[in-house]
Amino acid sequence: MWGIFLESVVIFKNYMGFHQHRYLAFLYLGILLYLWFAEKDRHRRAVFVYAPTLLLVMFFCPLFRKLFVRLLDDSETYYRLLWLLQMSLVSAYGVIRLCAAHRRIGTALACLLILFGGDYVYDSEHISKAENAYHLPQETVDIAEMIEPQEGRITVLVPADLIYYIRQYSSNIELPYGREMLISRWAYHHPMYEAMEEAEVIETETFVELAREYPCAYIILKEDRETTEPLTAYGYEVYGQVDEFVIYRDLETGME
Amino acid sequence: MIQIAGILFWLVIIPFCIGLLPAGFMPEDERKPGIVLLAGYFTMWAVFGLVTIPVVVFVRYDNFILASRCFMALAILGAAAGVWLTYRRRRFGRLREWMSFADCIREMSVAERIEWLLFLLLLGFQLYKAVAYASFDGDDAYYVAASLIAQQADTMYTILPLTGRHTGLDIRHALAVFPMWVAFVAQKSHIHATILSHTIMPLVLIPLTYLVYYEIGRLLFGRPDRQAKAEGSGENLSLFMILMAVFQIFGNVSIYTNETFFLTRTWQGKAVAGSLVIPALLWLFLLLYSGRKKGAAAERAGIWLLLVCVNITAGICSSIAVFLVSILMAVAAFCLAIVERDYKVLFKMGAACIPNAFYVLTYLIVGYGYLFKQ
Repeated sequence: MWGIFLESVVIFKNYMGFHQHRYLAFLYLGILLYLWFAEKDRHRRAVFVYAPTLLLVMFFCPLFRKLFVRLLDDSETYYRLLWLLQMSLVSAYGVIRLCAAHRRIGTALACLLILFGGDYVYDSEHISKAENAYHLPQETVDIAEMIEPQEGRITVLVPADLIYYIRQYSSNIELPYGREMLISRWAYHHPMYEAMEEAEVIETETFVELAREYPCAYIILKEDRETTEPLTAYGYEVYGQVDEFVIYRDLETGME
Repeated sequence: MIQIAGILFWLVIIPFCIGLLPAGFMPEDERKPGIVLLAGYFTMWAVFGLVTIPVVVFVRYDNFILASRCFMALAILGAAAGVWLTYRRRRFGRLREWMSFADCIREMSVAERIEWLLFLLLLGFQLYKAVAYASFDGDDAYYVAASLIAQQADTMYTILPLTGRHTGLDIRHALAVFPMWVAFVAQKSHIHATILSHTIMPLVLIPLTYLVYYEIGRLLFGRPDRQAKAEGSGENLSLFMILMAVFQIFGNVSIYTNETFFLTRTWQGKAVAGSLVIPALLWLFLLLYSGRKKGAAAERAGIWLLLVCVNITAGICSSIAVFLVSILMAVAAFCLAIVERDYKVLFKMGAACIPNAFYVLTYLIVGYGYLFKQ
């Protein structure tokens, strides 16, 4: 039980960003404590004080965590229980209430606290200037437009860089494997992925044999990807190139 | 042009007109344009869930076409009924309030106008970032691709979004049909589902979320009486909205917070669940039990109906959200029953959770029913 409780503490700390020295949690907990003493309206107490407190107690309760994980068969999403606290809502309400007659100064101070205790969402490494209306990398759009079939569906082998995006452009382009291969903790195995990504140098003969099992109408490789022999020696032609991605078309499958 | 018309029709006109139906059963004070729009969205999503989930479970081929047609018919009927009901009963409530918007601004102090302007700048900044910047998330390879499959292949959850291979019904995700609603709007508006998800949906869902915060703030701070105005209650509301906007922009303390999901994964069902559905529940709790003049039971029927619709919406957003909102409903019911000293609160809130029970039952039967087959 103690171990489960400690796990909940770790989840809470990770959620609140303590490991990245983010301390907005203290603003929320401070406001919650303030409302315990200051909020007199019984209905608001029920919604903004009693309910969040009870939810916090439940979150740290080992028995509740066991039940949650058993029922949902999923321990990775336990942190979403903290969404029910609506910390920003409760904090904003508490700040306005606390500041009362000095609300403008109070709001300004609270904004500074949020600024220094929080983290600016738009400087995330996962956010970049959009290159098109799809919000997909432009090379993905260009490649997909080149290879998308007029009719029916084709299977295409793409590098890991493109796996997330290619099927967001066209559902007519199938893949031998998907994003599940890129999440190491999911522990999937796939011979095509191993041949494509894990080999330091692609062993062309085996690689082509595997690709033709699907069959892959196109193989896309980065131009600096090393192969024991060129793909063109095994019935492929260079169909085109987009930035660093070289598109090889399999002449034997006859698909376009 | 047709795309803009389609977007306006399915994302503004239809939800607003549908919203007139539950709004007709709300206290007149609450029959405002913002609440009508919110009510319309939750009702529309609930109807979509009720239509689409059975189709997903029982129909294997071309199920998206069937679900789309049924939903389209019901949506248009619902919108027409909302307009007819409002016109017939002349129950405009405070809908005409938006025509006196200029009067509203004239009554504000200079400071309050600046505060609202500041909030609008923060909101505008978020909308600009949502359109001009791309936010990478690995889950899009599943959810956005699922919407695209429905749009292009007319099938729901029988093709693996990650690879395109055929599969049996993916029960883990099949009941969370929010991506199918996105696909529906994409198809009817003739817009690529990925463009709709990444570029258009944030322009709808972000303001909708702030509308919920505004309504919560109005209940907490927006007293219409003169004394409240003298105390600057209107300024409290504008400052509250500024704080909420700042929290969203700087709430990215980890990748797990609902603030992070809200601005970086706006179009995904789980983000809608965390940022729109759960605050909407808090809003409705306050609306039902805030201690203001409560009105006749018939007048509050619309609010209870909305509570049911929000619970159903949780289910279409995410399977886990059903569990989460049920926990919130139970905890809130318990706390409200104690402060109200009325055990009937538990039964009423429990009744609003009945759709959640059906959802879980469906999930168990479809997901694990094979264990009982001989």
